[in-house]
Amino acid sequence: MSTPGPERVPSTVKVGKTTGQGKPPTGPAKKTVANAKKAGPAKKAGGGKGKKPVTPVKVSGSRSMGPILVIGAVALVALAIVGFAIFNVVQGSRSWEDKVADIKGVVNYRAQKNPQIDDRNHKDGTLSYVTSPPVGGAHNATPQNCNGDVYDAPIANEHAVHSLEHGAVWVTYKQGLPADQVAVLAKKVQGKDYSLMSPYTGLDKNVSVQVWGYQLKTDDVNDPRIDEFIKDTRVVAALEPGISCSGGNTTTGPVTAAANGASMGNGK
Amino acid sequence: MTISTDSGTAADAAAPEDVPAPARGRRGWLLVIAALLVGTLLGLGIGFLVPRLSTPGDGSVEAGFLRDMAVHHAQAVEMSMIVHEKSDDPEIVYLASDIALTQHGQIGYMQAWLRDWHLSPTTTRQPMAWMPDSAGSVVNGLMPGMATPEQMADLRKATGKDLNVQFLTLMRQHHLGGIHMAQEAVRLSHNSDVKWLAGTMVTSQQGEITVIDNLLKKIQGQQ
Repeated sequence: MSTPGPERVPSTVKVGKTTGQGKPPTGPAKKTVANAKKAGPAKKAGGGKGKKPVTPVKVSGSRSMGPILVIGAVALVALAIVGFAIFNVVQGSRSWEDKVADIKGVVNYRAQKNPQIDDRNHKDGTLSYVTSPPVGGAHNATPQNCNGDVYDAPIANEHAVHSLEHGAVWVTYKQGLPADQVAVLAKKVQGKDYSLMSPYTGLDKNVSVQVWGYQLKTDDVNDPRIDEFIKDTRVVAALEPGISCSGGNTTTGPVTAAANGASMGNGK
Repeated sequence: MTISTDSGTAADAAAPEDVPAPARGRRGWLLVIAALLVGTLLGLGIGFLVPRLSTPGDGSVEAGFLRDMAVHHAQAVEMSMIVHEKSDDPEIVYLASDIALTQHGQIGYMQAWLRDWHLSPTTTRQPMAWMPDSAGSVVNGLMPGMATPEQMADLRKATGKDLNVQFLTLMRQHHLGGIHMAQEAVRLSHNSDVKWLAGTMVTSQQGEITVIDNLLKKIQGQQ
């Protein structure tokens, strides 16, 4: 019986190490070993509980290193798999605001709490906006139709801002951008509800993509961030979830008296 | 931490006689605790994952169908609202409001399910990608049955009988495309909610095609 003794002591240490390779249970396990060793000889108390394990553990103990290692390894692998799956699920179900915040270069105007941008009133006539293109603010009673509409001439900010309120992504490009580049952008809008596209006079970059309160500007129509931005914001950026993007103004050009909520009669 | 300290004490208490015994006791307890910890972590993790992994994923037939059908429906709502506003035929006006309200309501169902499943209502995938053999069915981003921007512009300009005939013709085409997609969803999906909603789309739109055909005959008979 003297031989198994020494053998068993190192084996206990081994178990601690094995279970402990970089996973949560490790910490406590190692410490327990340390504590037990230090405190062990000093304390002596009779406990009914303790008697049971003595014999069975001894029998299986000296022989069970292989299975324990295997079980430990399996447990680690299982924890790693479950942990990875949880990580992916949590990443995937993050809010759209978190996702769009991760896109480099996106400006979050909602966070600025600018009352002029946050204004959701309906107003007639020509309105001025904080940003160019606008990302929010008072707007015309009629939205611009945003059911995948591709406009070939500039549209009125006053209508477009109302579309942003409905959850539309508004893709704008510098007037005079080569036709092949415009075609690349049009593909991102055609046939997609809650999106619209138009050239924009005086744009400082080739492309500016915006929803209510968020904007991304870039010079490259193939910039992958454009697709990311559209994917993360379209529909969900609506301040009035469930509202439609149709029934809006379908003409181009500046806001006119006739377009002040009267043209399509369906401004929401 | 509390647990491990306790276990150490318990292990000591268990073996008063010789040296090997406490070692054995300690090891036994450690294994039990490690097993409990690992088991608890795995249980919590799996409990967290199961409800999420048992709902359709981002690339599933269900998610693809709901996203695409929401877009498809949105155009039917748009056409119907145009006609609802401009038509002077009470039967057409009623049909238009029926289609617009039904399909807009169904968009709500579809978006809510995607939200329940923690999925985005939109995707960068091609439309119809969830449907086998669908390559080529999407033209200029438009799914089967959808009206072109030119057809939509014509519908907005049309009046009187022209308006009614254009609407019925476009909606008939639109329904045929939609029914085909919904039938594929019924066939491919394993989700009972999706199968149910898609099934109702098939039957109700097939019924509406009969109504549309009768209305077309009636209107075209009028001179």
